Amino acid sequence: MPILEVEHIRKYFGHTEVLKDISFSLEQGQVVSIIGSSGSGKTTLLRCLNFLERPDKGIIRVNGETLFDADNPATQQESEIRKKRLHFGLVFQSFNLFPQYTALQNVMLAKELLAKEQPNYKAEKKRIHTEIETQAKALLDQMGLSDRINNYPHQLSGGQCQRVAIARALALSPDILCFDEPTSALDPELTGEVLKVMKELAEQNTTMVIVTHEMAFARDVANHVIFMDDGHILEQGKPMEVFEHPKEERTRQFLSRFTQG
Amino acid sequence: MKKILVLMLTILLAFSLVGCGDAKETEKTSGSASSDKSSKDSDVAYVKEKGTLVIGITDFAPMDYKDDNGEWIGFDADMAKAFAKSLGVKAEFVEIDWDNKIMELDGKTIDCVWNGMTLTDEVTSSMACSNAYCNNAQIVIVPSDKADKYQDKDSLSDLSFAVEAGSAGEEQVSTLGLKYTAVKAQADALMEVAAGTSDAAVIDSLMAAAMVGEGTSYTDLTYTVGLNNEEYGVGFRKGSDLVSALNDFFAASYADESMQKCAETYGVQAAVIKQ
Amino acid sequence: MEQILEQLPIVLKALNVGFLQTLKLFFVTLIGAFPLGLLIAFGSMSHFKPLSYFTKMIVWIIRGTPLMIQLLIIYYFPGLVLHNPIWGGGETGRFVAASVSFILNYACYFSEIYRGGIQGVPVGQEEAGLVLGMTKGQIFVKITLLQMIKRIVPPMSNEIITLVKDTSLARIIALQEIIWAGQAFMKGSQGISGAIWPLFFTAIYYLICNGILTILLGRLEKKLDYFK
Repeated sequence: MPILEVEHIRKYFGHTEVLKDISFSLEQGQVVSIIGSSGSGKTTLLRCLNFLERPDKGIIRVNGETLFDADNPATQQESEIRKKRLHFGLVFQSFNLFPQYTALQNVMLAKELLAKEQPNYKAEKKRIHTEIETQAKALLDQMGLSDRINNYPHQLSGGQCQRVAIARALALSPDILCFDEPTSALDPELTGEVLKVMKELAEQNTTMVIVTHEMAFARDVANHVIFMDDGHILEQGKPMEVFEHPKEERTRQFLSRFTQG
Repeated sequence: MKKILVLMLTILLAFSLVGCGDAKETEKTSGSASSDKSSKDSDVAYVKEKGTLVIGITDFAPMDYKDDNGEWIGFDADMAKAFAKSLGVKAEFVEIDWDNKIMELDGKTIDCVWNGMTLTDEVTSSMACSNAYCNNAQIVIVPSDKADKYQDKDSLSDLSFAVEAGSAGEEQVSTLGLKYTAVKAQADALMEVAAGTSDAAVIDSLMAAAMVGEGTSYTDLTYTVGLNNEEYGVGFRKGSDLVSALNDFFAASYADESMQKCAETYGVQAAVIKQ
Repeated sequence: MEQILEQLPIVLKALNVGFLQTLKLFFVTLIGAFPLGLLIAFGSMSHFKPLSYFTKMIVWIIRGTPLMIQLLIIYYFPGLVLHNPIWGGGETGRFVAASVSFILNYACYFSEIYRGGIQGVPVGQEEAGLVLGMTKGQIFVKITLLQMIKRIVPPMSNEIITLVKDTSLARIIALQEIIWAGQAFMKGSQGISGAIWPLFFTAIYYLICNGILTILLGRLEKKLDYFK
């Protein structure tokens, strides 16, 4: 059974249709790269998966459970959506770390708030806190940031910030981790360190959806590539097929800009 | 846009109501079938019901001023206390901004103005006033060293005056066609002369006696010409029956000489008017 | 000079009483206007249009008219027009009416500062909170609030220092704050008249008060400097 199924998603901003009948599915441990020019709807698709935007049509299923169905209002209640978001993690282009918290606190905050909703929280406060802290430290260590855990975001480089943001998303153990152009805001010499940890995550079978302009990364790390153009999925398949033998003229044009450069 | 217009109109209406509040009041009270009708018609009943007579004053020796314990005393204050006692209520003194005295009265935040108030046309037309109880005059204040030159009305024409805005003094200098600046209080007018920003001031003679000359705050000033004679009265809301109550009280306390005794305490016995 | 030394105790005693009134009005205004301003800010940012228009109009009226007029209207309007002097004529009534006027006035100014502070927090902060499964309330308390406070401390400091001085406007409805107390000796009170020097002393009270506030607010600003 696919871990993620997206069926016939449509999204309008006013009268402009930005997503036109998007469908795709994803298996556990798969890495999908979504490529395409700016304004093709990649980011909107990602925001729909995280319920930052509501699709006007279509269904989103995770592990066979229908999380969202535009035709069924029962799936759209605000209180439910908050929990459904936890199936997904999202790493933003501009990190969006919380500036008033240290790297460690950034990673721990959401998990601690969720733990407070547990009935046994009061009784086992200390143990839960230690657990969360240990996990957060391990995640930051995995990101190569063990010496930075007490730094505030403004004391970190862009690459370090983005790695904290990845750790923060991983802390809630999402089924699917989404990246929205994670290296676009970084200096070229800092993109490498972020791509490296993403590659490591892929090797550990983390299910990921990555919107990116890093074509080499998309080709080498992803198992599946989706090329979007003007709100459509124009072409999708194995990276080798899409990059080496694109079926569509539009895909060829888009890719040629990168291969020439 | 419509809402804004409606709002503006409401505000304007509110203000126009303030303007013609006096006229409307009589209509309203006669038309209302309220249960506490007596207290609406009668100020005496209203004051008795709430148990206090609120007296609007300013700090104005020797009429209303504070003693060392912060208690209000003075010829006016003592008489006001006695009047309140005769009504069986407590006297409550409230310092007010003199400019707002009519608003304070009509808005019922005070019940009377009892503060050495000269009975000018403006005062008698906007309040119901008691019988005059004290004589006063508007007199000219100049620096002592120049006093010789200004001993009659004709010599005043080349002076620049400071007078309290809206006071009897202002009325006098403007009828005489003298140059003047209106300031906020009589005391400010004195300060103007002391500071040299004005050549002369016109203030109440009772105040001048207490504040100008040897042994007072302004030893370098003196008073020369008296411009008129006038009288002090107590002001109430228009149509108030407290007026006749006070007139009766004045008559009684003049008859038993308690009024004169009180005046002696504050050195104004010469000015008291026969009731 | 000798005379001044002689009168100093009397004057200082009166000024202390006046200054206590000034401080009371100052703190009551802050305590009332801080939360009310936040409510008004939420009102004007509401997606429910009638509410946001209504609050914006109130803010426009209050900020567009002098506080002195508001004091006069709030104190005298009930008695003069509605024939119901709700405040009463005593000192307490005047203080309550002045407090209501000041709280309303300052809440409107604060609301605009809050609004700027909240809207100045990047939208990504809220989105980051949402995708981490936080509720709107948690996002406001744990994420937005402190960033907003950091943003509003400098403009708020200005308003607070202005408030200290604005309290003197309350003497238009005969609230006897420190300037009233100082001016009394100009007009003549307790045997002292024509004295301008008590007013210099009132200035010193204001200066000391604002000096302390400036230091405290500066410290708060510095304390929030740990993040950017």
